[in-house]
Amino acid sequence: MTILETIIIALIKIVLIIVLMLLSVAYTVYFERKIAAWVQNRKGPNRVGWLGLLQPFADVFKLLLKEDIVPEKANKILHTLAPFIALFVSFATYAVITIGPAVEIFGYKINLVVADVNIGILYVLALTSLGVYGITFAGWSSGSKYSLLGGIRSSAQMISYEVSMGFSIAGVIMLSQSLSPMKIVDSQYGWMWNAVVQPIGFITFLVSAFAETNRLPFDLPEAEPELVGGYHTEYSSFKFAGFFLAEYANMIVASMMIVTLYLGGYQIPYIDKLGLNSTLLVFLQIGAFLLKVAFFMFFFIWVRWSLPRFRYDQLMDLGWKVMFPLSLLNLVWVALLIMIFGF
Amino acid sequence: MAEKKRLKNLTFLEKMYIPEIVKGLALTLKQMLSPSVTMQYPEVKFEPPASYRGRPVLVQETNGTERCVACGLCSRVCPALAIEVQAAETELEKERYPQKFEINMLRCIFCGFCEEVCPEEAIVMSKDYELVFQNRESAIYGKDKLLVPVDELKDRIDFLRKFKK
Amino acid sequence: MPTITIDGKQIEFKQGQTVIEVAYEAGVEIPHFCYHPKLSISGNCRVCLVEIEKMPKLAISCATLAGDGMVVHTNSAKTLEARNAVMEFILINHPLDCPICDEAGECKLQDYAYAHSRGESRFEEIKNRKEKRVQLGPRIKFDGDRCISCSRCIRFSDEIAKSNQLTFTNRGDKVTISTFPGESFDNPYSMNTVDICPVGALTNNDFRFKSRVWEMSFTDSICVGCARGCNTEIGVRNNEILRLTPRQNEEVNSFWMCDNGRLNTFKNVNAEDRIDGTFVRKEGQLQKVNWDEALEVAAKSLKEYKSGEIAFVGSAFATCEDNFVLAKLAKQLNIASVDFARHSVAGDQDDILIREDKTPNTAGAELVFTKTNGAKLEGIFRLIKEGKVKTLFVMEDDLGSINDEWEQALGMLDLLIVTATNSNKTTALADIVFPAASYAEKHGTFVNFQGRVQRIRPAVSLDEMDRALDGMNMSRWDKFGTKFDRWNQGHKYDAKPSWKILAQLSSHLGGKIKYEMAEEVFAEIANSVDAFKGLDYDEIGELGIQLKISEKVEK
Repeated sequence: MTILETIIIALIKIVLIIVLMLLSVAYTVYFERKIAAWVQNRKGPNRVGWLGLLQPFADVFKLLLKEDIVPEKANKILHTLAPFIALFVSFATYAVITIGPAVEIFGYKINLVVADVNIGILYVLALTSLGVYGITFAGWSSGSKYSLLGGIRSSAQMISYEVSMGFSIAGVIMLSQSLSPMKIVDSQYGWMWNAVVQPIGFITFLVSAFAETNRLPFDLPEAEPELVGGYHTEYSSFKFAGFFLAEYANMIVASMMIVTLYLGGYQIPYIDKLGLNSTLLVFLQIGAFLLKVAFFMFFFIWVRWSLPRFRYDQLMDLGWKVMFPLSLLNLVWVALLIMIFGF
Repeated sequence: MAEKKRLKNLTFLEKMYIPEIVKGLALTLKQMLSPSVTMQYPEVKFEPPASYRGRPVLVQETNGTERCVACGLCSRVCPALAIEVQAAETELEKERYPQKFEINMLRCIFCGFCEEVCPEEAIVMSKDYELVFQNRESAIYGKDKLLVPVDELKDRIDFLRKFKK
Repeated sequence: MPTITIDGKQIEFKQGQTVIEVAYEAGVEIPHFCYHPKLSISGNCRVCLVEIEKMPKLAISCATLAGDGMVVHTNSAKTLEARNAVMEFILINHPLDCPICDEAGECKLQDYAYAHSRGESRFEEIKNRKEKRVQLGPRIKFDGDRCISCSRCIRFSDEIAKSNQLTFTNRGDKVTISTFPGESFDNPYSMNTVDICPVGALTNNDFRFKSRVWEMSFTDSICVGCARGCNTEIGVRNNEILRLTPRQNEEVNSFWMCDNGRLNTFKNVNAEDRIDGTFVRKEGQLQKVNWDEALEVAAKSLKEYKSGEIAFVGSAFATCEDNFVLAKLAKQLNIASVDFARHSVAGDQDDILIREDKTPNTAGAELVFTKTNGAKLEGIFRLIKEGKVKTLFVMEDDLGSINDEWEQALGMLDLLIVTATNSNKTTALADIVFPAASYAEKHGTFVNFQGRVQRIRPAVSLDEMDRALDGMNMSRWDKFGTKFDRWNQGHKYDAKPSWKILAQLSSHLGGKIKYEMAEEVFAEIANSVDAFKGLDYDEIGELGIQLKISEKVEK
């Protein structure tokens, strides 16, 4: 493979990922609204297009056509920068997500990941930490008390839960002995999914993922009853769309991470034993990955429309007094597994 | 800090959260699968019950005249000052009739006091809830818009006879 | 002094007073329909029954003379029972047509039924029907159903109006009021029966169905129909006068006023020909200009004439304040010829209320103008004819309508400045017309023929006024209305009280006459005019004060 070919393949992957991601975000919003409606015995969007399927586009056009308002007291540069940081972080995370095994197309062996870096998980952790900046900047630069409170809450919350998330991941890494997502997926061969092997780690990671994505019941940064719109109170039009996009993109990333780290990624247990055609196998595996991700997306939305929001002190209590010790406990458990059972 | 008194002490399982969360999720899942109650508004319209308080209207007798005698009680009782009545003399037996009867639908709060106070059962709350206007002037409904034949208001009048003291 | 005890209150009284009179003076209310303090006792309604100790039966308080040591109970169980029973009897045949009855809201039967009766009827029989909408007189309609046969109207026509035009006909429950055959109840005081009718049986043709009483605001005022100056109440809705009713003032008009004053003194306030805004003659036509321009033109034009060529004419229709400021402006300009016109109709006078002098303030104008010693009205007329007076300022009077000669004379003037409420022959000839506030739109004082100074108050709002800020009486509609409510868009005329116009004109002429309120003008009158010495505007109050000018007083 020449360098040129590598670059072209990488570009194609990037474009594909971005397009697919934007589409999936759009339809995540659509399903969010639909599921909310179903939970509340309503119909949800059903006017724009068949079954309301064009609703996301209408939403996007509406957002883009709105006036872009920058408050007088805002720090203009940071105010503009903030949504791009948020957006960049969530987009960049996709680079290391493995959605399937390596495939051969037109004679090229292609990994179904934009960048198969051997420190992928570290990369994800680093980027999600960066995501705090987008929100904190947005909160601070708006020059509004609601935004500021939202931003502060957000950074405090993300830092708190990052701890337990990091320790949960540590358990996974100890087992797989690699930071590469592909290796991690491979290490969960058969039913040895991390969710089965280390259930406490799975739960702490899941909860932390909710907190990291600012989804209910942890959506304190944008708690409407108290903070109007939270950190994006003063945003409108395209910049608001940026945050909106980032939030849902984060949700997708989180789902993908959960699947990759704990549910065996694209693997279907023991499917290779059936001796299927390799192309079919690849498609089945990609399908399995997407299905798993879709389930978690649904789970995110489902939880949002079922649970009430935490109070701020409860959130902190949960983060430091419950999730953090639990993730440590999980580490001990994994260590024991390795020492006693020789995983 | 004093221990907060709870209405109910939580059991261990409840303190674990997870079973409770699962219960909650199960409930919402059940709701997701139950049919929707939404009415597709412009195509399907809600037919209110007789007790519904929609736009106040004047009862028009079968001979085309209004029942109203312009006593002005509705106007007096109206907490939002939405009703203006100008009486005049008529040759009919009722002596008085409203030369002008205007309800400012921007002021109206649909409380139904006018209907309650009316000694002639001449103003009643209709089932009409579709009130659209594009300026303040057209929000003032005169007799032309307020008069509704008595047959169309039978439901409400029967309801009033049954429940109004 | 003999004393009587009413509801535990010891009250002194004069021999010959009835129980109800004593109670009334002591502020104890006893319900009554047929009793009226100014009419003879008829005692037929029976609702004023009271329990008097040591009397075997209840007695009607209106016909029982108060006696020393009497103990009266107006709210004992026995009295209440009797009262309820009487109310029930009266209501047997009284129709439940309050919704269409004009009296509703100020109806004694309604009040007493609310306070003293059962709340529902025990009679299942059909109510008696009598004649309705009977035109008793040219100004009064009678509703037989509503009549409770108290006979107040009959007694009024006999005793006060002395016309003996009404009577009862038939007997028992068929009894009704009517005029004698072929007669019409056309007495000039006939409409007082509408006021004293305790129910809505007699209705005012003019006001009939115009408005519910609770929709109006009421302002104390004075009738401007003649020199009597009857105390009145102006009923206003949507900035329009709908009704004038008399107000009790024993010194002037008691409870009464004449039909002419009641009907014909307020119509001009909202008339079609009302002058709205200032007008200046340009190219032969009166054209509307703004106040500043009109005042400027008037000042400039006046400066072109010598003071000897100018004459001022005040008005007996205007208040003392207006005339005083006119006199003051005349003094500022060194004008000697200041007078006003008298409007008397010889023979149109009776010994009840109506006076020959058809202006409300002749006495006041005379008092205010005593200090002027130039030509009087006749002299001014002559000077105009001779061409010596070239400029005339006419305040609120229609000199052009006095006779054709006056109209001709006005035509000869070089400059005619007028303040007027309505268009008339004088304004048609004027070069500059200022819109004057009518008596219902300003504060001020009138002095009636007895020499009694009485206050008028604004009931109708002018463009420059605000009901709330100017402390005017307000109805519920006035209080809560906005500019978007049609019922709150009654026209507000662009006019000012004459004294204000004159004061502004004075400052345009370089003078120092400056007043903010009519009260200030009055304070100065009280300082400088002998008859008004020491008077205070607030002290005049609702009933007025008698001036110390004894030679003018006649009863």
